Amino acid sequence: MSAFDYNREAVRNLGIDDTKILDPLVDFESARRAHINKDRSHRDKRLSLGEAIGEFVRDGDVLTDTGFSYVRTPMQAYFEIMRQGKKGIQMIGSPNSNQSYMIHFGVCSCSHNSYSGAEMRGYDRAYSRSVIEGKTRILSEWSHGSMAQGFKAAQLGVPGVFSKQLLGSDILRYNPYTKVMQNPMRSDPDPAVFVPALYPDIAVIHVQTADRFGNARMYGPPINDIALAAAARRLIITAEEIVPPGDIRSNNKGVVIPFTCVDAVVELPYGAAPGSMPGCYYWSRQWWEKLMRWACLSDENIEEFFEYWVFSSRDQFDFIEKLGGARWIANSRKITKAEEYDNEDLGVDFSYKEFKTLETETGIYY
Amino acid sequence: MTEIKPANPLEMVAYSLAMQIEDHQVVYVGTGLPMVAAILARKTHAPNITLVYESGAQDPLEGGMPWSVGGPFTWRKSPIILEMSYSFGQAYNGYVDIGFLGFAQIDRYGNINTHMIGTDLLKPKVRLTGSGGNNDLSSLSEKMVLVGIQSPDKFVEKVDFITSVGFLEGGDSRKKAGLLGEGPVAVVTNAGVYDFEPVSKRMRVKSLNPGVSLGLAQMATGFELLKPDGEIPVTPAPSAEILALLRNEVDPLGVFISMPGAKQ
Repeated sequence: MSAFDYNREAVRNLGIDDTKILDPLVDFESARRAHINKDRSHRDKRLSLGEAIGEFVRDGDVLTDTGFSYVRTPMQAYFEIMRQGKKGIQMIGSPNSNQSYMIHFGVCSCSHNSYSGAEMRGYDRAYSRSVIEGKTRILSEWSHGSMAQGFKAAQLGVPGVFSKQLLGSDILRYNPYTKVMQNPMRSDPDPAVFVPALYPDIAVIHVQTADRFGNARMYGPPINDIALAAAARRLIITAEEIVPPGDIRSNNKGVVIPFTCVDAVVELPYGAAPGSMPGCYYWSRQWWEKLMRWACLSDENIEEFFEYWVFSSRDQFDFIEKLGGARWIANSRKITKAEEYDNEDLGVDFSYKEFKTLETETGIYY
Repeated sequence: MTEIKPANPLEMVAYSLAMQIEDHQVVYVGTGLPMVAAILARKTHAPNITLVYESGAQDPLEGGMPWSVGGPFTWRKSPIILEMSYSFGQAYNGYVDIGFLGFAQIDRYGNINTHMIGTDLLKPKVRLTGSGGNNDLSSLSEKMVLVGIQSPDKFVEKVDFITSVGFLEGGDSRKKAGLLGEGPVAVVTNAGVYDFEPVSKRMRVKSLNPGVSLGLAQMATGFELLKPDGEIPVTPAPSAEILALLRNEVDPLGVFISMPGAKQ
């Protein structure tokens, strides 16, 4: 018998026959065991990206999307997961936008959703198609904030939290993990939603700097990644730069992930490209527009797109070459630092041509 | 002096949204027209507002239009950037005065859908983005303003999925469900501005944009709109100065205020 008593209406509405598939996300005991079993020593945890993904990402895992869709998101790690042909992953995240193309290749087959899309670029047609065709199975629906509370509850070290989000909405009817309860501290009716602590199997978090033990320094919006680092059973840190431990100790501003949580450290410059990396480089806006407005339109397009960008790229350096190489790097660093106003922005041109055709005229994916 | 072109429908929406903002408020914004509106408000009648975002960005220095809610323009030299859970926590704790939400469908009680078109979540006609922060803001913020383009397939009798609750079934059902804040205070569209009748909580015409008749607004709506007592006011249009500001300083590239097809 299952140890968990899920929201039965949601289980029914989602057509889930065997609720075992839901267990890993809320199985605190197994998460605690995984954390207890981690090697505590200050040791050099550096691996190549291929080794780290090979060892720590497993078929059927609950994987979280980290960063913010395409901001400080470990895009190159996702691409390696695709190249290694992992299968049957449950993807969760607020946002959860990067599940979309992974579903097409069978990497992901289950969704815990709060948001899947690319803002002003419109809804994600590939994700829509995947849902309609049953290529992904929706296991739970959330809002950003309620899912964030589940991750935060895990970091806080509590079984869950009471939330005032989701009440009255249909999301509750499609979320097996949440239940409406009376606030026990009130004598008058005061409905609240119990949100359990959420424990993904694996998180990959991309940061600007880390030391070889895994202490990680982050700049820009942390989104849910501080909570996720504490929650995940396994944690890979990918970093633009690996700095000596003394650097982290002498400048601990922005150090948000302690080494104890970390299983592997990967030196991965441009690991967030073609997404943006605060302080380092800007999005390739045209790449994302091409993904959303062309690749996602059909299965053939998505195959062609990822064959070119991912499966025929060995690593991020191949990828960067296709974006425009050193000229892309210089331009995207300049734009991002000017937009952050760390560099002079007077006279800096942020405009670009929205993606319309397959080839860019300049050879650079701005 | 050259004659300035009158406001296009999107510019009207941006201006009407801006007019919902009062000075000194904390304003929770997403990208798109709400951001245009907030920046316009700051440059005109509400110079002391504070912008916050679901990415956790707070109170950025003024800059250009961000390409994403997570982009550097939303946290440009921010004094602090919060984690996502804390960002929404601000709304629960009473630190957010007004939020702006978009929708794919809306009903007469201001309930909105950003999940799907269809009747079965597991097999929809179209799967949309899902909630994002939409449900959180509608559940928690003190006041909400809903914004969208008005048509009968968006203004519907019954939304296909309640992503975010406005007034649920009307009356006091929002409050009974346990939600916070006043709920939606305005719906701003290309046809006009709507509010909700205080008792039934049904959507009511507040003002119609220049050139829009009640008949036209009703034709663009899949449910019966309530009418205010007396003559229906015309939504104030932006002055030439404000239009120039909007076009030259707020969104000079016309990312959000150019009509589709009008750009080069």
